[in-house]
Amino acid sequence: MAKGMTLLWGSGSPPCWRVMIALEEKNLQGYNQKLLSLEKLEHKSKELLDINPRGQLPTFKHGDNVLSESYAVCFYLESQFKSQGTKLIPDGPAEQALMYQRMFEGLTFYEKLNVVIYYSFDWFVPEGERHESALKRNKEALVTELRLWEGYLQKLGSGSYLAGPSFTLADVVVFPTVGTVFRFGLSPERYPKLGEYHNLLKERPSIRASWPPHWLESPKGLDTLKDI
Amino acid sequence: MAKLMSLLWGAGSPPCWRVMITLEEKKLQGYKRKLLSFEKGEHKSQEVLEVNPRGQLPAFKHGDIILNESCATCLYLENQFKSQGIKLIPDSAEDQAVMYQRMMEGLALTDKLNSVIYYDCSVPEEERHDSAVKRNKEALTAELKLWEGYLENVSAGSYLAGAFSLADVIVFPSIACAFRFGLSVGRYPKLAKYYSLLKNRASIKTTWPPHWVASPQGYDILKDL
Repeated sequence: MAKGMTLLWGSGSPPCWRVMIALEEKNLQGYNQKLLSLEKLEHKSKELLDINPRGQLPTFKHGDNVLSESYAVCFYLESQFKSQGTKLIPDGPAEQALMYQRMFEGLTFYEKLNVVIYYSFDWFVPEGERHESALKRNKEALVTELRLWEGYLQKLGSGSYLAGPSFTLADVVVFPTVGTVFRFGLSPERYPKLGEYHNLLKERPSIRASWPPHWLESPKGLDTLKDI
Repeated sequence: MAKLMSLLWGAGSPPCWRVMITLEEKKLQGYKRKLLSFEKGEHKSQEVLEVNPRGQLPAFKHGDIILNESCATCLYLENQFKSQGIKLIPDSAEDQAVMYQRMMEGLALTDKLNSVIYYDCSVPEEERHDSAVKRNKEALTAELKLWEGYLENVSAGSYLAGAFSLADVIVFPSIACAFRFGLSVGRYPKLAKYYSLLKNRASIKTTWPPHWVASPQGYDILKDL
């Protein structure tokens, strides 16, 4: 099954990481994969643009099916491989609703993070368009967002996952963002519930197996977020 | 079933519209609903904040269950009411792949539309740049061309992923907004065909934004794209 699958990915990209976690959880290891360099703009190469006109990673193929939206891949894999690996969508209505809710809030979380950590990159905001006032506002919005997630985890109690007692698609899609915030220096003292969640999940086999290789090579991250 | 459901919504908001279309498609008419005014800031009222701390619409309740993300609500409703109304997630792997892909790409379309239509609302005056406006318009144009391509073979019963599906539920409202804001029918004929085929679908006609019915003449922000 996995042999009919191919993933083009970039190291440290949360959307790519989501797909890799899902593949591990559904016991689909052994898929073909190619690591592209985002720094060298390999995601804008002809090879990729031929399969994915948006020139974005991840790009995933299963037979003739091509998917380049990470959430789409996750939903597709869970649906097609429901009976193998971890059950990633709970049946109970309350847990299911919470899972979907946190999944989509996860997109907001990811965006609010990006507008802070990538603000000073030209490909994100051209130099002539940057404003201190905008960066300040983006940081405040990120803090508000982080506090929401602290609250969500606080309410569920220690050892819980995002949608309750079981690991679900909500964790698959949101954990990479949480991994990134700590990589960029977020203080676990100021955000203890997120810190606990990070510590719990980083030991999970699917997450260990797919940990960004360049984070392993240089374990010391950045400190962009240390003061927020 | 629908009697245990309630929706706080705003007119013309694609996320709200998506939920309302889904409720119709799943034969869940009869839910309680309250129309709030974005202009009057009612989306930040205590009533909304109690359901949705983000102060955003739609805010949906089913008994004690709360869902404030439109895609989450639509997926939940399709899964919980799979056996009633229209089937919104196809069975075949191929159709499912396209459906989920277009659904999620639909969010990129909405963002790019918003970045043009609501530029002045969302960017403080001293931070606005013509270069940004230009770039946003170019990005939206490229995005619309992609969708024009996706709908190359559009016809009655053949929409974004074959039969009408969640992809159409999520994406149609943004396409409708694009035309409301002046997108050229001549330059985007496939999108225009998609729009005219679906605007008469029962679930869509019933939930058409009331103020669009009241004043059919829209805006022309997008007419030159």
